[in-house]
Amino acid sequence: MTTAALPTARDAATTTPPTTHGTAQGPAWKRRLVVTLFLAPTIIGIGVFTLLPIIASIGLAFFRWDIITNPEFAGLDNFADVAVDPTVRRSFLNTIAFVVVAVTLQIAVSLGLAVLVAQRMPSWLRTFFRSVFFFPLILSAASVSIVMRYLFNEDFGVVNWFLSLVGLPGVAWLTSGWSAAVVVLVYVWQQFGFTFLLFVGGLAAIPNDVYEASAIDGATGWRQFRTITLPLVSPTMLVACVMSVISALQIFDQPWVLTRGGPGDSTRTAVMVIYESAFRQLEFGRASAVGVVLMALIMGVTALQFRLSRRFVFYQ
Amino acid sequence: MPPLSAEITRRAALGTLGAAGLTGLGLAWPRLTGRDIPGRGEDVLTIAILGTSQDAAARQDLVAAFNEIHPDIPVRVQGIQGNDWGDFFSKILTMIAAGTPPDLVNVATEGTQLFASLMAEPLDDYVLRDAAELQEYFDDVHPTLLEAFMYEGSLFQLPTDFNAANMYYNVGALELAGLDRPADDWTHDDFVTTLRAMRSANAADFVPYFWTNRLFGGLVPWLYVNDTSFLAETKAGGGTWFWDRFYPGEQRSGGYRWLEPNADDPRVEESVEFLRELVADGLGTRPEEGGGGALVGLFASGRIGTTPAGGYWVQGLNEAGMAEDEFDVQFFPRWRTQRHQFGAAGYAIMSTSPRKDEAWEWIKFTASRDGMELAYPLPSTTPTRRSMVNEARYAGKGPRHWEVFYDTLDRFPTTGPIPAPPQQAAVETALIKNISAAVGGSASGVPRALANLQRDLTQALGRTA
Repeated sequence: MTTAALPTARDAATTTPPTTHGTAQGPAWKRRLVVTLFLAPTIIGIGVFTLLPIIASIGLAFFRWDIITNPEFAGLDNFADVAVDPTVRRSFLNTIAFVVVAVTLQIAVSLGLAVLVAQRMPSWLRTFFRSVFFFPLILSAASVSIVMRYLFNEDFGVVNWFLSLVGLPGVAWLTSGWSAAVVVLVYVWQQFGFTFLLFVGGLAAIPNDVYEASAIDGATGWRQFRTITLPLVSPTMLVACVMSVISALQIFDQPWVLTRGGPGDSTRTAVMVIYESAFRQLEFGRASAVGVVLMALIMGVTALQFRLSRRFVFYQ
Repeated sequence: MPPLSAEITRRAALGTLGAAGLTGLGLAWPRLTGRDIPGRGEDVLTIAILGTSQDAAARQDLVAAFNEIHPDIPVRVQGIQGNDWGDFFSKILTMIAAGTPPDLVNVATEGTQLFASLMAEPLDDYVLRDAAELQEYFDDVHPTLLEAFMYEGSLFQLPTDFNAANMYYNVGALELAGLDRPADDWTHDDFVTTLRAMRSANAADFVPYFWTNRLFGGLVPWLYVNDTSFLAETKAGGGTWFWDRFYPGEQRSGGYRWLEPNADDPRVEESVEFLRELVADGLGTRPEEGGGGALVGLFASGRIGTTPAGGYWVQGLNEAGMAEDEFDVQFFPRWRTQRHQFGAAGYAIMSTSPRKDEAWEWIKFTASRDGMELAYPLPSTTPTRRSMVNEARYAGKGPRHWEVFYDTLDRFPTTGPIPAPPQQAAVETALIKNISAAVGGSASGVPRALANLQRDLTQALGRTA
């Protein structure tokens, strides 16, 4: 990097620290007060609505509590209970399998479409595609799932009606082994617009002269994609992967509305178990224990992604 | 006056923004603190019902009539939305935790024991105190409905409406199959024959039997007619104070108990296998989980041959365009028995309520003939008063054999409520998920699914509600 680079505003700020006597902008205590006041709403918001509930959940995981009677200390019983519960185990396996399949599909589809949209085309058409791909994201997941539930109904759904038009038999989309595939499909359809926009931004940041130089050297198509686009878009892909994985690990709406976790436990997810334990079975301690395990899983997976990013992410 | 070209200083801009923010906060304060919710903080009798705010508003006639008798008891009906009773109950519990519990809750059979075991007030003293006034109500209401609202010897609700799992059928589809109305004592084999005939006579997209995988109208009616259930059913002692006083001669209990799982009963497997074969043979649908929303429209459009439902369906079918002679209802088919399933609802007083006496007045009023006629002007449910289930209620809407609704109680005295112990939510989850797995696969999968059901039920019933 560049010792000769022009100093940035940040450099200037760090090279001229305020003294205890203050600067031209005012005394130090006053500036600290202003900074604190500006940060206060966010700090209070995070504290009250994020940190406190997390701490409360961790604490609650060691109690039995049905919301009506007083909490009763349970030690590690809730954790022991969820460790041996086959439904909880299955829900975590489902969640992990869902994350692997859905995020892979989401990244592949959104990157592929972003590359297509980045090709030469009229700007109005590019805007059209961006809007169309992003549109599902602004819809409520529950509303989308209700509509999809009708579309994929085995007996009366439009999907099977289309299949019948071409002479194919109907499929029990929501009540057989296909249900997990439908959940993934609906989720990816609704979510890929976000990562698509990230990739559109990431692709736009790749200098065109890199492609021009590679073209002069004879590289085109797939080779350009593999040796230029993928490495240079890898920082964006890291962000997309981290955010998609965190979001997918918390999936609830789509399987809840589409399948209620069925058939059997085949589409039951970890968050669904938390909801059912807390708000339907009144076992808030057990729900918190599952929540704590899920939080640990999310933190672990995110840390792993950042660790792996050192090997696979390239910065210009 | 400053010149128009004067620049706005940062201080002025921040000050303006700050003032605007504070003003906005001040204006929004009632909303942010929930003080603008009608009735919040007022000394009113609050009644929670499952429904929307429009449903709550629709009960204003009932409230007005109540206030004519009790002008000193202001009432607020609060609609609590939910997909099902389980959703509704969890929201009530959240209100309790938030310190804003209602005084009364309209509770269905699914939640009776949950509320009775945790938060409802027994009505025993009130019922005995006003026994003379209430005798007319009990004379008009079938004792089976009252027994479902007894818990460990105490009465917790006066049922105001109920629905039994009867079998609706599409008259046109039946005629197309060349069949007459099924006999009152038709068997499950007759039922299958009917479905097969409907299947061959109707279009490819026609479904002979539609059912929903849930506690009411799912597997349970097929278990009841096969003289079994997925939970071992026993009765509590006590309750003689009630039966001796209001139903002399009735040998009834202090309420139902569902303490042990019974999914390993061979008859349970037999019933599940029966449903699985219906699905496999294309006679019945694979049940979706928690579904049933579009059912009225599909039935009304002639795409469904039969489905279990109660009197609550009549108004919906009428509004969907079905004439009174286009659909009809019959008892559930018999197997080893012809025991039917029902669910009922009534108001429960919360033990936290500071207005219990006023709440009891509301319960008495809604159980009165006048109150019930105001509450149920349309055939969108079945009133618990026998005298109200009459020709006039169903005139012009059908079904032709509306007597089936109350005869389910009168002619089949063993008819029983939805199995709903205090751990109902966990029990229902266990039932639904394992039955969906059982009926969607091969015959070899049924024992495994039922073993899982037995395991899940054992776990669910072992927990405290």
